[in-house]
Amino acid sequence: MLVIGGTIPQQDMPLIAGHVRREGDMLVADGQPFSRIQGTGAMISAALTATSYLGIEPPYVVVAGDIGKGDGTRLMYRHLIENIASLQPDFVTLHYCQPFMNLLTQFVNEVEKMENPPFLIADAGAMYAAKAAGQAPKFGIFTPDPSEIAFLADPNATHPAYIANHLFDSGIDDVPDLIKSAYDSKSAATVMVVKGSRDYIAKNGEILATVEEPDVPVLEAIGGTGDTITGLVSAFTYAGLEPEEAGILAAKCNRMGGKIVNPTPATKVAEIIDSFPSVFEQYLCEWSNICSVFHGKAKHS
Amino acid sequence: MSTLNNSKNNDGEGLIIFEEVSHAIQAEKALREGGYAVKLIAPPAKYRMGCDLGIAINLVEKAGIERLLRKKDVPFARILPTYDGTAELLSIVKITDYDKWYMVKAGNMKLSYEKTSGVIVNTSGGGCPDIPYLHAEMVGKKLNEAPKPSELGYTLCALMLDRAYEEALTIWNGGS
Repeated sequence: MLVIGGTIPQQDMPLIAGHVRREGDMLVADGQPFSRIQGTGAMISAALTATSYLGIEPPYVVVAGDIGKGDGTRLMYRHLIENIASLQPDFVTLHYCQPFMNLLTQFVNEVEKMENPPFLIADAGAMYAAKAAGQAPKFGIFTPDPSEIAFLADPNATHPAYIANHLFDSGIDDVPDLIKSAYDSKSAATVMVVKGSRDYIAKNGEILATVEEPDVPVLEAIGGTGDTITGLVSAFTYAGLEPEEAGILAAKCNRMGGKIVNPTPATKVAEIIDSFPSVFEQYLCEWSNICSVFHGKAKHS
Repeated sequence: MSTLNNSKNNDGEGLIIFEEVSHAIQAEKALREGGYAVKLIAPPAKYRMGCDLGIAINLVEKAGIERLLRKKDVPFARILPTYDGTAELLSIVKITDYDKWYMVKAGNMKLSYEKTSGVIVNTSGGGCPDIPYLHAEMVGKKLNEAPKPSELGYTLCALMLDRAYEEALTIWNGGS
């Protein structure tokens, strides 16, 4: 099971826990519809597109409404802390939420008590909390963007708003040094998928690959195009790829999905997500061995 | 107007600690309007929970500041007689030209708008839960008609988006 935890930007939306499906332009879990447009919704939508294509079990989502007050974040963490042992997931991806260090730590503590602890993936607020709370090495994958890798590289920063100016001023060519600093200060996950004009995939401090093609610079301006990489890498890892292979494949698919829609800064991420099935159809087997290793049966096989 | 000593380790330095980032943003606005020189700043590590914001003040003005915040109903946790362990907010803003659009980046937050109309076409980056909410509230609106992220948001990501928004508004209004 792949569990995805995060928040939805809707005030007073209750906690929703269940396997997700798509209905029209909405996502539905436990009979409750919610938006797939931004943030965790976009990430779930990308993951669901991949699991649907591969014919494997859809993600089990734990989401709650939160517009920044932290109420939905608390509901999400409380549910995960109380239920992670009984859910027994293989993978957990944590995403948009208030970066509460104490709740993130409580969750990790519960995971460590499990006989077969899940593989942990984090991005966004959950990644901020994991770094700030000193829990980063317990995660299998982080998916930062260039400003977030600068945050992870800065041992004194507890939030990207506080990174040192000289680190923020780094260019894409400086990312390898930032990745090294993040590993050196124990602020990195085992595998790092750094999303940018050049994507870097690193493992245990070593850069294994970069992805630069197709080059679609405008993707940086489109909200959610980093979230889709997190969703794809979660789904591909869940399908059986090694985390670093999943990162490379996710980066390639995201770029190609972006290229297909010929984007401008005004493009919505939902358009890119909707292009993924055609990207998978054309490139998934060519770019990876996922067609032979995933748990289920692919639609294209 | 009072002045704030920018260097650390000076006599008279003080720091207001808040339970929520939104309270710090409210307090900064109220104090500036009240003529106090203040600066948003990260609290010392031992007071941080993960998304935190404090305000540096001149400690000699503590009594007046407390009175003003209570009068304005702005909650605050305590006032510390120190800057030790604090950190500065990121101050660099970057601009990217995408032909018909500008993307303005502050910290981990980016805002893109159409040059001719001033309509916000996208926001990206960030990881706090108010960012998707602000995206929904701001995209499609003109810069001068959109809600200010610092007034609608609650987190440090919203504060960074506010810096990008203010820079975008300045550029669109003909500033540099």
